[in-house]
Amino acid sequence: MLVPSEGVVNFCNWLQNTPYALAIAGSTWAYPFVQTTHFTGLSIWIGTNLAVDFRLLGWFGKHRNASEFTQSLFAWNWIGFAIAVMGGASLFSTDAVAFSRNPALQLKLLLFFPVALIIHIFVQQKTIKSWGASEMVAPMGKIAGLVEFLLWLSVASAAANIPYYEKFL
Amino acid sequence: MPFFQWLENTRWARWADDSVQVATVCEIIHYFSMFVMVGSIVIVNLRLMGLLARNRPMKEVTAQFFPLMWIGIALNFFSGFVMFAGDATTFAPNWVFHIKVSVVLLALISAIVVQMQARKWVQQETAEAPLWGKALATISLLLWIGSILAAVEVPSLTNVG
Repeated sequence: MLVPSEGVVNFCNWLQNTPYALAIAGSTWAYPFVQTTHFTGLSIWIGTNLAVDFRLLGWFGKHRNASEFTQSLFAWNWIGFAIAVMGGASLFSTDAVAFSRNPALQLKLLLFFPVALIIHIFVQQKTIKSWGASEMVAPMGKIAGLVEFLLWLSVASAAANIPYYEKFL
Repeated sequence: MPFFQWLENTRWARWADDSVQVATVCEIIHYFSMFVMVGSIVIVNLRLMGLLARNRPMKEVTAQFFPLMWIGIALNFFSGFVMFAGDATTFAPNWVFHIKVSVVLLALISAIVVQMQARKWVQQETAEAPLWGKALATISLLLWIGSILAAVEVPSLTNVG
């Protein structure tokens, strides 16, 4: 576990005492609604990511050019991302100090998520411009699709472990 | 209750519940398959509602995403059942869990109805869903979002799961 610096703790302390965070944390319904928003955003985001990865791997939608397929999902992919990030940030704000010390969340936010996001942007751009231009996806595109799939699986694994660590903090 | 007691004490349910690794893998499969399932359903429903990929024939979108949706549903139900079995006597009397299962079943029925109706709507390449079809897609979408809400409420309101 990384020990957050004093500055990070101070920021988290301020964040969890903002009226917005207190309103979510103090309401019976606001917290689950924010959780639902986060999961719905994640479903759109991860669902569209996996559709592209599976297309690159040739497991899905083979009758369609991968470049066009990726472009058709582009807008909803990033809408899902925006919803998931807004929901996630709101959830984090309700107990920011404890979350900042959670090893599973640290692993998710500081390692897997940034790497997966960078790889995703790279894969998305390369698929639209070159890998997905023809019927057959280049071997490099297939490897990239598999790597991205495994990275999102790692993000989900770290996320699934967040509640376990909450109990011990 | 005797059935749930028996289920909870089966060898495989005990093994799945007692092993941290198996429980974690089940949870990861449950989360991930939920993303695949709801993600596919959201895309199909948004297309039927005319809010997504309007330049693509509905036939193509449904043909691509319905199989993915069913793979997600199968994995989600399988992992969910294994997780349920390990704590069956705790989940079975839980009223929020009853709501969750009811909403998920309604959402599942809506998905089946949408898929059956979509087969008729996509007969022509440029076909669009009729107004009641768009309403059906909206209801299906809301039911799946409702199932997520019910799912997150189980541990939040009852400390179970």
